[in-house]
Amino acid sequence: MADAVMGNGADALEETLGRLNKKAGVKATIVLDRTSGAILKTSGQILSVRASRGDGSSSVAGLTEGQTETQAVEELAGMVWNFVNAAGGLVQDLDAEDELKLLRLRTKRQELVIVPDPKYLLIVVHDTPPA
Amino acid sequence: MQQRREEILAKKAKLAELKRQRELRASQGVRQSIGISSELASPTAGRSDSRRDIETLIDSLVGESRPASVRGGTGSPGPKGSRPNSVISGGEYSQENSEVTAVANGPAAPIQTLTATPLVTIYETQPSPVKEVFSYSKAVQTTEEWTSLARPRALSSSSDIDEPTTPTKTPSKRLSRRERDREEEIREKLRKEIEEELRATKEFIDHGTAKPSNSSFATRTLTSEELNALIHSDDLVYFLDHSTKVAEKALGEPDILTDYTRQISDQDDEDDKLGNTGGRGRRRIREVLRFYDERWSKKRMVSSIDFSPKHKELLLASYTKNPSAPHEPDGVVQIWNRFLQDRPELVFHAQSDILTAKFSPFHPNLIVGGAYSGQVLLWDTRSRNPAPVQKTPLTGSGHTHPVYAIDMVGTQNANNIISVSTDGAVCGWSVDMLAQPQENLYLTAPPPAKQEDLSPTCMAFPQADPTFFLVGSEEGTIFPCHRYDRAGAKAGVDARVAYKGHAAPVMSVDFHPARGPVDLGDLVISSSLDWSVKLWKVRAPAATSGITPTTTVNATTGLPGAPAVPDGYVVTPLLDFVREDVVYDAKWSPTRPGVFACVDGAGYVEVWDLTVETEEPVARIAPSQSKEAGRLGMHSLNKLAWEPSEGKRLATGGIDGVVNVFEVGEELGGKEGVKTEEWTAVKKLVGRIEAGNAVAV
Repeated sequence: MADAVMGNGADALEETLGRLNKKAGVKATIVLDRTSGAILKTSGQILSVRASRGDGSSSVAGLTEGQTETQAVEELAGMVWNFVNAAGGLVQDLDAEDELKLLRLRTKRQELVIVPDPKYLLIVVHDTPPA
Repeated sequence: MQQRREEILAKKAKLAELKRQRELRASQGVRQSIGISSELASPTAGRSDSRRDIETLIDSLVGESRPASVRGGTGSPGPKGSRPNSVISGGEYSQENSEVTAVANGPAAPIQTLTATPLVTIYETQPSPVKEVFSYSKAVQTTEEWTSLARPRALSSSSDIDEPTTPTKTPSKRLSRRERDREEEIREKLRKEIEEELRATKEFIDHGTAKPSNSSFATRTLTSEELNALIHSDDLVYFLDHSTKVAEKALGEPDILTDYTRQISDQDDEDDKLGNTGGRGRRRIREVLRFYDERWSKKRMVSSIDFSPKHKELLLASYTKNPSAPHEPDGVVQIWNRFLQDRPELVFHAQSDILTAKFSPFHPNLIVGGAYSGQVLLWDTRSRNPAPVQKTPLTGSGHTHPVYAIDMVGTQNANNIISVSTDGAVCGWSVDMLAQPQENLYLTAPPPAKQEDLSPTCMAFPQADPTFFLVGSEEGTIFPCHRYDRAGAKAGVDARVAYKGHAAPVMSVDFHPARGPVDLGDLVISSSLDWSVKLWKVRAPAATSGITPTTTVNATTGLPGAPAVPDGYVVTPLLDFVREDVVYDAKWSPTRPGVFACVDGAGYVEVWDLTVETEEPVARIAPSQSKEAGRLGMHSLNKLAWEPSEGKRLATGGIDGVVNVFEVGEELGGKEGVKTEEWTAVKKLVGRIEAGNAVAV
């Protein structure tokens, strides 16, 4: 199974991410490097994730579309990365042998599904179903 | 100056020689400590500036060791390096030079005279070996608790910080007080550093500003080449494959935060919102899921379906080959997850069309399958490789014809794979060893048939007895078979009984699962290409031995057939459900005594309840058509399976490669609310029909 996926590297990668993106409610996906926090891959509307930010909307108003988008991605990536590390630290403190496997951060507006791995991080942002 | 340097050189050379000798001796079993200490002695000597010091040292060393060098005299670099003006040894060594032959008997007893002095000298340099040990234990302890206390472990800087702090852990009695103080100092410094960094991180989070923290820094430094390399790594692909499945399942799960106390917006009148439904009220059947994968399901036919006995949300479907993709594997098994709809959880391959596959009921990781090539295949879900972990050979004593039916029987500790191929061969395999069948049996049609060939298309074992089974044949008869010789019957087809009624190949036989107050385990339904489903009552294998040819019970076919079949006993069906198309599969509900479902060539799923109605199905539904299937006019459904533990869902698969899952209403499935009356009602129905048949005779 795995090698079927690995058969055509980048295409399969695009495909899996694309499929995830097409799912109803999914707003954005980001893949990060776990150790450095470098952004490997993004897709979707990152800006919409932080649609109504208190101070941010005014400060980025002057910038062009492309700039705000990359900036938003970087900011979000940084925030999530710190969040994951904090959570990872907590897990380590609880039990040194233990390991963080999944983070689901549910808010009123949306949900972040974060899948950590020793080497990478996958972040999926999606709308929560209306209650 | 020049002179002095030469002297020193000469002494060094001598020391080196001594050292070598000692090492030699040490390696031959003399106390090793000497060797080590002498090693350490040489640099000390070299370092000291005062000439007198050197000389005294050399004196003591050389003087003492002289007897040894005379005896063991290896005349190597020492003499060459020595000059006439070198303090003592020059002449002596050149003398020794002639005694080179003595090398062999060197390492004898008198070594002990040598050992005494070096020990004394060496004690002064003792700290250095201690230091070595010290630095070693430092390295070992780097991953101690400082990491988790101070910083998340992903931070690269943390590892640098840790190193100096760790020596505190060493049980270092030898550490001097001063050293400890220094460590304390370092630790204090580190703590401050870490606190500072933490503060910085916190600030970063608080303000959300892009300060030059680790994450944004890395983002910028990643060049396109690095990015490319990372993206094309197999690791990332594997990670994504795995993690997106996790994420998709998380999205597919029922909403755990649903607040039931709040008003729900008009979702009460279910029937309108449910989409594709059939039947009415509590006997409704409703399509809930549809499994289809663009790559692996396309242009393939579903050849079997099985629910996982361990994980309720998993089901497997096996597929035949895709004629338009010759480079893809012919046979495919896909494992579908209820919470992951648009792609399979796992995919397994085979070189040949897979005609049947099922989960091992005794081991949740194993899947067994039968292939068109005649191979029996075994896959393991723990394997990363999609190919079978074991398969039977194509030569030798296994199958050489397509295997359309396979089953696993026995108990947790002793079970076998039983496979049957279309040439009548039945093989019993051990899960651990597929190289060779453990049992071999050839089924042949009993005497009244015009030819001996028997071509089994399906097989079924009763719940209670793993040594007895039924096979449905291509010619329409269902034969009882024994795996072993038993009283009054040989292994193979039991010639005394035949279940005749179908006029076309039998597509399925299924024993009643019978887990209830009344034993209905002898009821069997079969489906056939003659447009019918039939209900049979199978005679217990032990009871058949008492039958005499004269007790013909048959109502219709029995009498004309009787003279030609002297010792054959023909059983006719209890009930005949005539349908409007070929019926490919029929299965009992695992929980309701009178309920069974069947799928037909017109693409309908029908659910029957014998306690309610024996003339027509209580619910009927066709899966919503996929675009492709609609265009090609392919509706036919091949296979059917009930979810075994609750009996609420059933899955169907057809010629278009789509697997559909349906949910049945409360009166047709589910464990709760099964009344004892239902069981007795089925029993009574069977009794009534039997009585009717007897009267007819």
